[in-house]
Amino acid sequence: MRLTVNGIERGIESAPLTPLLYVLREELGITSPKAGCQQGGCGACTVLVDGEARRACLLAVAAVDGAEITTVEGLGAPEALSAIQTAFHEHYAAQCGFCTSGMLIAAHAYLEHGGSGERESIQETLSGHVCRCTGYVKIIDAVAAAAGGEITSRQKWLPQTGEESPVEVPGAPA
Amino acid sequence: MKAVGARLPRYDGVAHVTGRTTFVDDVRVPGTLWVKALRSPAHNADIKRLDTSKAEAMEGVHAIITWQDVPLLEYGHLSALGIPADEPLLAKDEVRYKGQPIAVVAAEDETKAQLAVEAIELDLEEKPALFDVRKAFDSDAPVVHQWGNWYTHFEDEMDRRQIRKGSIQEAFDKADVIVQGVYRPAAIEHVPLETQVCQVVPEADGRLTIYSCTQALYFSMGVVAAHLQVPLNRLKFVGGTVGGGFGGKVDTATETMCSLLALKSGKPIKWRWTREEEFLCSSTRAPWHMEIADAVTKDGWILGRKMLTLHDSGAYSRFSPYGLTKHSFHHTGAYTIPNLEFDGYVVYTNRVPTTAMRGFGVTSVSFAVETHMNRIAKELGLDPFEIRLKNANRIGDTSPNGIVYTDPSTVPTILAVADELGHELPADYRTMSSEKREGELLPEHLVGQLGNPEDH
Repeated sequence: MRLTVNGIERGIESAPLTPLLYVLREELGITSPKAGCQQGGCGACTVLVDGEARRACLLAVAAVDGAEITTVEGLGAPEALSAIQTAFHEHYAAQCGFCTSGMLIAAHAYLEHGGSGERESIQETLSGHVCRCTGYVKIIDAVAAAAGGEITSRQKWLPQTGEESPVEVPGAPA
Repeated sequence: MKAVGARLPRYDGVAHVTGRTTFVDDVRVPGTLWVKALRSPAHNADIKRLDTSKAEAMEGVHAIITWQDVPLLEYGHLSALGIPADEPLLAKDEVRYKGQPIAVVAAEDETKAQLAVEAIELDLEEKPALFDVRKAFDSDAPVVHQWGNWYTHFEDEMDRRQIRKGSIQEAFDKADVIVQGVYRPAAIEHVPLETQVCQVVPEADGRLTIYSCTQALYFSMGVVAAHLQVPLNRLKFVGGTVGGGFGGKVDTATETMCSLLALKSGKPIKWRWTREEEFLCSSTRAPWHMEIADAVTKDGWILGRKMLTLHDSGAYSRFSPYGLTKHSFHHTGAYTIPNLEFDGYVVYTNRVPTTAMRGFGVTSVSFAVETHMNRIAKELGLDPFEIRLKNANRIGDTSPNGIVYTDPSTVPTILAVADELGHELPADYRTMSSEKREGELLPEHLVGQLGNPEDH
């Protein structure tokens, strides 16, 4: 079997019924998709399969033989964040970070499919994704910001990308 | 001070949004063995026979540990504070909750480990179980703990956390109304997206490197060192990246057993709980039973409070005596009541042991107190905001445990809530502040009760 993962074609050794999640994490060492529940309930393992957001824990690798897989590693690197990654960072949509990969992939697919940015449509898109830290408002704000929609968080957001931070924070984008 | 009040980028934000944060499950160590646990299928039972020999002979199985492999079997989560230990790392003669670990297996993959778990021979003799804290004190209740059905080791070997302040009898004699309520918030599972997970690597120099999802790294280090009976310098803990904790990763759930398996097998060890294990076997926020009776005047002053709290500790103590102590200090909430009679018990049941969760011990009592404030207002026909502002902690008031408040925030907080909700208040309430009581805000029952913040 073969997969194209984040643009690179890879031969797959795992048994055909191995979940795609295990193939990515254990065979290929791509660890952004997380094993949150391993039963399709939490969304933390979500990856793009030929452009569609799918649960990697429920997909046998044989069922996606030949597919193009995109994980968060393929969305953008630290020095070149994609729009949705920048929005998540700037709106504090990632707290502990464990659900973030799945959220980002689902949100990325939403934007790619022309998501309107209306809150109801974002909520529907993310309804199968569990976050226990944020209470979702900041995540929905981040997706809305990336889609040009309305932001409702009562916390005033600062600084935006390009604005000067009052103190230097390691890892912050320049 | 330029960072105060400013909003800063998260230091770990870019790593999170690029999938580069290394959680414990993302650590890659070649040759790692996977762990599965034999857990109690019964709520309360004696262990009649435990035989791991068939499981040990299975293909791919490298090590199994039971209670016999633990150098110090019982070490309490609060042993360092002098609170005695009551919980074995692995069950010995009996099990006290469904899901309690009895043996753990390290094998070449999760399937082989699980098959070995199923090959362990276990005979149990089930006993009646106790689930309701209200029945724990009955003479015919099953006794579910070696100390009885409630904790007996508070200071001077008291069997409860007790607070006495002022004269409760006088308060109840003077009251116009007694307002009573019972409050019973349920258990809550923390549900971190990252289940309990640990990776231990035995190093060539005999030390162990322990990748831990703990919320309390040095605390966990002490717990592991105590069970293993080794000095701290034999353990290198790597932590700080927690995939959600909320209090549920304060208990040391996996590190000690993985360390013992690493020492026994000489191989790297990894244990990642399933979601089902996380729900059924991990600790939860405790269910609480709280009874309040307040002596109240018809114009809304709270003269005295009697309170009984039953804290469901589950099968073992863990942090519950500490949680109940915090609870007792907060049992008047954000309000000043000069006459108090509080009794709180840490009660054992056959539930999974309960633990910290966001505001350990305090959220339960806040729920009870705030609901009770509304009940008082309703029974007296008064405004719930006004009754709160009147009794609110002010500078010079004293807490249940005798602390003099120097900067209480109750008044501005309640005024802010009223503003947000558009709730109208009379001018004399609108202009209240946290300043020391005088005039009408120093009623007879608080005269002579105020402390001096300067002495604090």
